[in-house]
Amino acid sequence: MAALKILLVDDSETILQMEQMILAKEPYELLVARDGAEGVARALEDNPDLILMDVVMPRMGGFEALRQLRGNQRTSTVPVVMVTTKAEADSIETGYASGCNDYIVKPIDSIELIAKLRDLLGD
Amino acid sequence: MVHPTSNPISDRMRSSPAGGASERAAAYLHPGQLFVSADSHAVTTILGSCVAVCLWDPVTRIGGINHFLLPTFSGQGIASPRFGNIAIKDLLDQLAELGSQKHNLLAKMFGGACVLEAFRQRQNHLGMQNIEVARELLESESIPLVGHDVGGQRGRKVVFHTDDGSAWVKVL
Repeated sequence: MAALKILLVDDSETILQMEQMILAKEPYELLVARDGAEGVARALEDNPDLILMDVVMPRMGGFEALRQLRGNQRTSTVPVVMVTTKAEADSIETGYASGCNDYIVKPIDSIELIAKLRDLLGD
Repeated sequence: MVHPTSNPISDRMRSSPAGGASERAAAYLHPGQLFVSADSHAVTTILGSCVAVCLWDPVTRIGGINHFLLPTFSGQGIASPRFGNIAIKDLLDQLAELGSQKHNLLAKMFGGACVLEAFRQRQNHLGMQNIEVARELLESESIPLVGHDVGGQRGRKVVFHTDDGSAWVKVL
């Protein structure tokens, strides 16, 4: 059985590396995109089972990317977890309005992230 | 699955928090945090699968709220209020430190949604686990649960008033 695919969308190499480190021992195939536009393109191409989406990114931010994903039949139901900062508290409501399923706040806690992913992907 | 029951949150509103909010200082609660105060505060938090337990003492008007993500601390990592059993215990301890009386405390509970449609038939999703931990702990502490809006499929924005226990909920 093929591993579940998680698409990590973030413009920060540090965050991407952290997410990959946390998930290294989990049975997921990890894909990477470095802004919202690339995230949408990769989602359409690779059909991930879940997307971890940063909010503030160049070229296309997380909310616009999320809206595009929800507007495309192929990606309308893929689970999306927004990765926010505490400074973006007001934006969490926007995230839900844009169609996210849940959110996680930086700095990312490994236990929390793994628990959320297992819950959303079925363990 | 848990739905809002015949004991609804009567102060659930569709537009804006209840009147008097402008008299209360505002605070925002992030996941894993808790907030207690002897002064009137309107505390906002946003919940998906997470649960917020709100406690207040109607006599002293001291109240507080937590926001936890995971049900029970298992000994791995740090025992933080990210876990329900820690978050509720810490909330009770801090309310007591401010002078609230445990036998006066009342509780409300929010959140615990199953945010993924494909798994809504599961009884053990994370939101449900969080709800059950909160229920069990409140029952073990003999604190009446006088209101709740839990389960379901959508996130919630909650504004809780620490002085009188009133709460405003908006489904997201």
